[in-house]
Amino acid sequence: MAQQPLVDTAAGDDPGRGLRAVRSLRELVDRLEALQVARARDLGWSWQEIADALGVTRQAVHKKYGRRT
Amino acid sequence: MFERFTKEARAAVIAGQQVARDAGSRTVDTRHVLVALAESTGPASRALDAVGVDRHDLTARLRDDLRAGGLDGDALAALGIDLDAVRERADAVFGPGALETAGRSPAHIPFGSDAKKALRLALREAIRLGRRTIDGGHLLLGMLRAASPARDALADTGVDLDALRRALESDRAPGSQSA
Repeated sequence: MAQQPLVDTAAGDDPGRGLRAVRSLRELVDRLEALQVARARDLGWSWQEIADALGVTRQAVHKKYGRRT
Repeated sequence: MFERFTKEARAAVIAGQQVARDAGSRTVDTRHVLVALAESTGPASRALDAVGVDRHDLTARLRDDLRAGGLDGDALAALGIDLDAVRERADAVFGPGALETAGRSPAHIPFGSDAKKALRLALREAIRLGRRTIDGGHLLLGMLRAASPARDALADTGVDLDALRRALESDRAPGSQSA
């Protein structure tokens, strides 16, 4: 059941709808990442621990979020 | 170019940044500046009134759209993601309104390419109309000159863009009084 909508949009044949869906998904991921990183920092996680969890380098995560805390 | 802006046009550009900040946007686009223009008094607002635009309704809708950002609930629903459910979870874990304010805009929100282009076109419009300064009406004309999110938003409300252009141009015809 849940697979059907995916076929209709992200993997569907209308690029406009598919791209809008991808864009919304990316935006959602960005926002959730920002929230999770901020919370992890509040809970005392190191940049390295956050980076490991996200599967990116410590520099990448620090550059993106370091100035905000 | 900014030295050529009237006080009112400068205020609209600055207010556009505030609109972007309020909406949690990462860049300023023409819609933010349009909201600023429509919420102030000046040639742009006069022209919008002249063609029968409900400015209050326009700005309320634009602000809602901007606040939603790139988060399109319908598009996500088509992927099987319930945005309301995600929002509920985010509110519970991170506090009310967390998803809306996540990754909040920085102190300085840069102008996007679309807004920069509109500013350049505003200068051209002012020159074309024989003016030495750029006012809010020229800013709006600049947004209407090329495809822009602001132009699309106005077209979506059913505004006659040609009539709006004429209203903007007649407000600044040589010899006309601008209050």
